[in-house]
Amino acid sequence: MGTQHTCRKVLEEQADYFAVPGAHLYTMLHRVEEPVARVLLSGPFASERHYSYDPWVRWARYLAQRGVEVLRYDYRGVGESEGIFEEMTFQHWSEDLQLLASWLKSRSPNLPLVLHGLEMGALLAGIAFQAGVGDVLLLWSPPANANLALRPTLLRWVVADQLFKFGDDRRPASAYFQKMEEGLTIEVEGYRWTAKLWRDSHEVKLPSAMEDENRARAIYHRPVRVVRLGKDAIPLIKGGNAVTNEPRNYTSLFAKNWGWLAGALAIDGGGSE
Amino acid sequence: MSQVTETRELFTLDCQGAVLRGTFHKPRKDFPGTSSTGILSLAGFPMPRAAHGDAAVYWAASFANFGYPSFRIDLPGAGDSSADVPAELFQFINMGGHERVAAAAVKQLVERYNLSGVVILGHCAGAISAIFAAAICEECRGLILLDAPFHLPPAGRPKVKQALFHWSTWSRFGGLLSNIHDQINNIHLFLRRNAPPANTNFPLLKRWKDLASGGLPILLINAPSPKASGTKPRVGKFDYLRHILKLAGNRSRVEVKIIESAHHTFSDPVGRDAVRRQIEQWMPTFFPFENPEQATANVAQPMHSNNEAEFSTRQSMYARVDATREVESLP
Repeated sequence: MGTQHTCRKVLEEQADYFAVPGAHLYTMLHRVEEPVARVLLSGPFASERHYSYDPWVRWARYLAQRGVEVLRYDYRGVGESEGIFEEMTFQHWSEDLQLLASWLKSRSPNLPLVLHGLEMGALLAGIAFQAGVGDVLLLWSPPANANLALRPTLLRWVVADQLFKFGDDRRPASAYFQKMEEGLTIEVEGYRWTAKLWRDSHEVKLPSAMEDENRARAIYHRPVRVVRLGKDAIPLIKGGNAVTNEPRNYTSLFAKNWGWLAGALAIDGGGSE
Repeated sequence: MSQVTETRELFTLDCQGAVLRGTFHKPRKDFPGTSSTGILSLAGFPMPRAAHGDAAVYWAASFANFGYPSFRIDLPGAGDSSADVPAELFQFINMGGHERVAAAAVKQLVERYNLSGVVILGHCAGAISAIFAAAICEECRGLILLDAPFHLPPAGRPKVKQALFHWSTWSRFGGLLSNIHDQINNIHLFLRRNAPPANTNFPLLKRWKDLASGGLPILLINAPSPKASGTKPRVGKFDYLRHILKLAGNRSRVEVKIIESAHHTFSDPVGRDAVRRQIEQWMPTFFPFENPEQATANVAQPMHSNNEAEFSTRQSMYARVDATREVESLP
């Protein structure tokens, strides 16, 4: 990973379908002429995808402008990808990430491959990285386990779902949890969450080494960065309105993360603006 | 990697300097009832084209299966399309900022896919863009509007208002105060002789009037508003539905459906399924399935029929429906 300049020509973004067992994943490749590295972006879960979409796309374009080729995608059963959401498991979504990482790596095996995950995507990226996938790992707000990513989404939905209900029609959040624990399927922001999804979510855990960056680097001998996003990163993380009248500014967030990434890749990260 | 699957195809459109990304849901080739009229879906801004809960994917796949070529696009600044989110976003959209780009997209889709025309399906902000685009677009043959807002965002502090409203839904005292507030609003409404409020989107209403009174087939599907009662809005709120039906006049071909139990996003199972069924009932009425010869002949026809008899047989209708049946109708 020698020092290289990041001034590269950004090519047209390429949308495609990528075949996985039983479905096609929607992918968007932010192509770059002679890239210095490749990044696989693994996004947040189901309904969170929509809220975080704009800054996630902007981050991909930001990286492409700095000579890094980026691949974004939708999980099986979500967004533009095929598949039925309620039939999917964390195993399927982990497999999606690993298959795409292999494909991206195969484009030029000598280039470093970065796994960058956000929330649920960070969890899946962390698990893949532990299994040996990728050369660099960047995690944005990874939960300790998948259930901790599902829970706030459900709580937000309960508030919205109960808003126009009165009296006996009202149900506390615990009633939703209980339904899934009883084996029933519930609807959350348009997605059908199965009891299996809920049950399995407790078992999908961030590798314990990744709770401490220094420890992770020492164990994996590869650069690892864990960033807890703050309110300035909304709507990449939950909280506040997804839509604002004035465009949000992510310059500082992107510049900080790019600074670290360029260092980890040992490339010239200058001229980031 | 491929841009095509058995049922879908990815495409790009170059419109007004922006690259728009979209998905085409192909009708089944062996299906007997296919149409040369396409359906173009515009999601509520800034939702990506899949929309809340991927409801737009479900609808487009269903309509394609039903026989209508279906398209979903990201407007500039949303989803995967190019261009930044415009400054003063709400004003931009409410004043028809996407009018020309959406109209250009319709035109290109008609040419590229050899369609006789397109029905634009817009949700929320997408419905606003749909109305503006239809007003300048010869290829637009109809509109399907989901919870189209005919007013501008209220002034003041929406977060405080939201919090107060939320409180009023679970607090007995809050509910009482809310009802008193509604009655005061009702008096204000009465005093100004039930005129549209100051934050009405008048440019949008003008386009609506032109389109609806000109006989463009329009299906308007709404979710119940908070504290609404039957076909009436919340006490003290201006009745936009009755107002726009009045503007449309008695020669219009507007149908209004209120889907009971649906959320504003229509992504919940009841809402998305009811929307699908309403559209699958409505589309063949105005855009019947055609054989290829008929489709070719229709290309040469003018966009909005001026057939008086046809108008008189399809008067505006206003109905409240639950997931399976009509429960209340107003003339």
